[in-house]
Amino acid sequence: MAFIEIQNLYKCFKKVVAINRIDLHVQQGEMLTLLGPSGCGKTTTLRCIAGLEKPEEGDIVIDGKPMLSKGFVPPSKRGIGMVFQNYAVWPHMKVISNIVYGLKIQKLAKPKIKEKAAQVLALVGLEGLEDRYPAQLSGGQQQRVALARALVGNPKVLLLDEPLSNLDAKLREELRFEIKNLVRRMGITSVYVTHDQAEAMVISDRIAVMDAGNVVQLGTAQEIYQEPANRFVADFIGTMNFIPGEVVETLKDKDAVYVKTEFSPRLLCHRINHTSDLSGAKVYASIRPEDVEVFPDPPTHMENLFQGTIIHKAYLGNFLNFFVRVKETMIRVQVPHHLPQGEGQELYLFLNPEKCVILP
Amino acid sequence: MSRGNVILAALLWAIIAFFVLYPLSILVLESFKISGTDNWGLNNYVEFFRDTYYLKTFGNTLLLSTLLLLTTTIFGVPLAYILARYRHRGKTVFTALILLPIVLPAFAGVFAFIIFFGKYGTLNLLLMDIGIIEEPVNFIYGLHGLVFIQALHMLPFIVLGLSAGFTNIDPSFEEAAEVEGASGFRRFFTITLPLCTPSYLAGAVLVFLWPFTDWLTPLILGQVDFLPSVSYINISYHFTDVHRKYMGIVATVVSAVVCISLFLLARWWVEKRKYTGLSKGTTSEGRVVEPSPFVRLGAYVFMAFIAVLVLLIPIVLGLSAFSRRWVFEPFPTYWTLENFRLILLESPGLVKNSFLFSGIALLFGIAFGLPAAYLIVRTRVPGKDALDFVITLMLAFPGIAVGVSYLLAFWQGIPLATHWIIMPLALFARRLPYFLRMAHSSYLQLDPSLEEASEVSGAGKIRTFFSISLPLLLKGVLVGVVMFFIMAFQEISTAIFLYRGGWETLPIGIYLNWHRGMEFGIAAAMAFLMIVITFILLMIISRIGGGVLKAAWGAGEN
Ligand SMILES: Nc1ncnc2c1ncn2[C@@H]1O[C@H](COP(=O)(O)OP(=O)(O)OP(=O)(O)O)[C@@H](O)[C@H]1O
Ligand SMILES: [Mg+2]
Repeated sequence: MAFIEIQNLYKCFKKVVAINRIDLHVQQGEMLTLLGPSGCGKTTTLRCIAGLEKPEEGDIVIDGKPMLSKGFVPPSKRGIGMVFQNYAVWPHMKVISNIVYGLKIQKLAKPKIKEKAAQVLALVGLEGLEDRYPAQLSGGQQQRVALARALVGNPKVLLLDEPLSNLDAKLREELRFEIKNLVRRMGITSVYVTHDQAEAMVISDRIAVMDAGNVVQLGTAQEIYQEPANRFVADFIGTMNFIPGEVVETLKDKDAVYVKTEFSPRLLCHRINHTSDLSGAKVYASIRPEDVEVFPDPPTHMENLFQGTIIHKAYLGNFLNFFVRVKETMIRVQVPHHLPQGEGQELYLFLNPEKCVILP
Repeated sequence: MSRGNVILAALLWAIIAFFVLYPLSILVLESFKISGTDNWGLNNYVEFFRDTYYLKTFGNTLLLSTLLLLTTTIFGVPLAYILARYRHRGKTVFTALILLPIVLPAFAGVFAFIIFFGKYGTLNLLLMDIGIIEEPVNFIYGLHGLVFIQALHMLPFIVLGLSAGFTNIDPSFEEAAEVEGASGFRRFFTITLPLCTPSYLAGAVLVFLWPFTDWLTPLILGQVDFLPSVSYINISYHFTDVHRKYMGIVATVVSAVVCISLFLLARWWVEKRKYTGLSKGTTSEGRVVEPSPFVRLGAYVFMAFIAVLVLLIPIVLGLSAFSRRWVFEPFPTYWTLENFRLILLESPGLVKNSFLFSGIALLFGIAFGLPAAYLIVRTRVPGKDALDFVITLMLAFPGIAVGVSYLLAFWQGIPLATHWIIMPLALFARRLPYFLRMAHSSYLQLDPSLEEASEVSGAGKIRTFFSISLPLLLKGVLVGVVMFFIMAFQEISTAIFLYRGGWETLPIGIYLNWHRGMEFGIAAAMAFLMIVITFILLMIISRIGGGVLKAAWGAGEN
C-alpha cells in the first residue's frame, strides 16, 4: 500500500475545475514531482494533500489514515511539513522562532526543542543566523529557513510548492541537489511541485505530468522523456517534431507501423503501447530533434531517409540547431558536432524508426 | 536641480514658516513667559506640574486615552476581522456605516446621543414606559459616556487600518502556521495580529491622541477636567486672568507635545518594521472565511449593533431638526420646519460663512498642495522631505493649539486677525495635510515617463504639468478637494478661537446655540444640515470614483 494515496480527487472553484478526479500514489520515501504548465492544478493538488483546500470529492489517505472520508483532518493534525512558494517565513519572528514554532505547539521540552533546532540548522546550513530577522536574510537563506521549519518536526510527509522559483538560476541549481540529498537522507515521503522540467527531472524519483486538472502521465524521468504518453507530454518535456500523417499498415507483432506523411508514403515508426491494429488512424509521427541523424551524402540502403534543405542554422555552443525543410514539412534537428553545410544547402535526414514514435 | 524648483521650494517654505512655524513658535515662547515681567523661564511649567488640579487633568486625559484605545481595540479587532475575512451579504453597506463617523463632525454624535441616551432621553423614557427601570439610567454623563461617544467616533481608525492589514497580509503566512499545527486563536494571536501591528498602530496612535485634541465632547457632557477642555476654558473665558491664561497655554503646549511625540514614535516604529515588502504577491484575494451559521449570526448582530449606533446620529438629529419642544417624550410629537426657518432667517450668515471660508481655504489648499506634492514626489530639492514631514505633523497637531497660536501670533504682532481672512487661513493651516496627501499619493502613481515624454516633445515643465500631469491626476485631486472641503467645513477647534461677530460658521453656530442654552432644536437642525451637506459631498466623491474610504483613509493616515 502506498504511503500517500490520492483517490478520485475532485476540486473546483465555482465553475473552474482545478482537479478532475485524479488518482495518484506516492510510495514511502519517494519523491514525487507534480509537473505541468501554469494553472494545471499542481498547487491545488498539493494544498488538498496539506488540507488547506477541501476537495469536493475523493479521498486522500496518508499512512493508512483517510484524511477526508472519515471526517476532515485539519492541516495541523496531518503531520506534514510544507515549503511555500514565497517561503512564508514569518517576518516578525527571528529565524529561530520561525523554526521552533511548531515544536512549541507540540509542547516539546525546552532542551529537546533546542537540540532539534540546532540539528536542523546545521542540516540546512544556517548556523549562526538564528537571531536574524527574515528581512536580514538573502532569498536563498530565507528558503533554507522555510525548509528547516518544514523539516524540524520530522514530518511524515514533506510538501514543496515551487520552492526554488523565486531564486536566481545559479542558486536554483545548487539548491535542487541540496534538497534532493537532504530529503533522501531523511527518507521523507515528499511531493514536489514545479513547472520547470529540468528541476523535475533532477529532483524526483517519479514525475506526474499534469494538464488541465488531469494526471496525463506518471513515470520516471526517463520513461516520460522517451515514451511520452501523448503530444502534450512530449511537447512539455523537451522539444519534439510532430509530423501529421495516417497509419497505412500495422506490422504483425504490432510494435511498428507505416505512416503516410506529406513527404513520405511509408514512414516507419515505432509504437509504445502495441495492442491494436491502428490502420487508417490519424496520428503524429514524433521524433526529438537530437534523435534525427544527418548525413551530408546519402548512405545506401536505409529506410526513413529523406532529403531536405537547410532553412535556418544556429550555433548554440555545445550543439548546432537546424531547421530543415523536407518537401513542405519543417523538421527541427539538433547535432552535437560541426557540419560544414550552411543555409540553403542540401542535407539527408535519417528518422531512426526506433526513436520515431507515433502519438495520437 | 532647476532654479524654478528651488524658488518654488523657498516659496512654499515661506508659507509654512509664516502660517505654521511662526505662530507655533509664538505659542511656545508665550508659554515660557513669566507673567508680569519681560523675563522667560520655566515657571509656568513648574506651576502647572505642581498644581494638583492640572496634574489630575493630565492624568484624566491619559486615563481617557487608555480606556478609549482599549474600547476601540476590543470592538475594532473583531469588527475588522469580520469585515475583512468573512464572506457575507451587505458587506459594503456595513462597512460604509461603520466607517461613517470618520466624516461626521464629532459634535454631531454628542448631540444625538444626549437626545437619545440622556437622563430623560428616548431610551430612558422608553425603558421606563415599559417598566424595566423606574429611575432614569445615567448612560452618558460621566467617564463611561465620554469613552462610549469618543470610541464610536474613533472606531473607524482602528477598523480601517486593521481590515486593510487583514486583507493584505499574504495568506501563506497563516497557512504555514496552520500546517505547523497552530489552529484558531493561536494562529490569530501569534501570526495574524503581530503581522498587522503596523497597520493597527497607525490608527491606534490617532485614537490615543484624540482625548488630547477633543475639547468639545467633554465640555458638552459636563466633564471638563481634561487637558484640551481646560485649555479652551482657561483661554476663552479667563484670558484676562493672567494665571489661568498661562495655565491654559501650558496645557495647550503639553497636549501638542504629547501628540507630536507619540505620533512620531508610532511612525518610527511602523517604519522600522514594515512587513509588506517581504511577501511576494499572490494571486488569491486574501483569505476569505466561510463562518459557521452560528458565528455568522453573531457577526451580523455585532455589526448591526455598531451600525445602528452610527445610524442613530443622523436619525436622532433629523427627528430633532424637524420638530420642536421634544422633551420628556421618547419621540417628537410636534413636527415643524420652524428650526430651519430660524436658521435661514436669523443666521443665514452661518451657512454662507461656512461655504465661503471653507471654499477660500480650499483655494489656498490647492494653490499650496499641488506644487508641494509635485516638489515632494518629483524633485530632489533640498528640504523637501522636511516640508513633507512638517505638513504630515499637522495631522497630529491639536486644533486648539493652532487656534491659540493664531490668536497669540496674529493679534498683537501681525494684526491679521482683525480681518475675516484669518478664518480661511486658519482652516487652511489646520487641514493642510488632507489635500496634500491625496495629491501626493496620486502623484506617486503617475508614471514619470508620461511627463518625460512631454518634455522630450518640447513642452516646458509648467506646460507639461498643466497639459499632462494635472489631467491624469484629476481624479485623485478632485477627491482630495472634496475631502479637504468636508474637513474644513466641520472645523471648530481652531475657528472657535478666532471668530468675531459676523464670522461664525455652522459648527460655531451649533456650539453657541448649545452654549447659550438656546433651544436645542436649532443646534440639532444645524448639525443635521451639516450631515446632509457632508453626505452630498460624499456622494460627489463616490461619483468621482475615488472611493470614500480611500479618500478618508488615504488623506488621513497613509
Ligand atoms: N482560490 C481559487 N479561486 C478560484 N480559482 C482558483 C483558486 N485557486 C486556483 N484556482 C484555479 O484552479 C486552477 C488550478 O490552479 P493551481 O493554483 O493549482 O495551478 P498551478 O498548477 O499551481 O499553477 P502555477 O504553476 O501557475 O502555480 C487554475 O485555473 C486557477 O485559476
Ligand atoms: Mg502553483
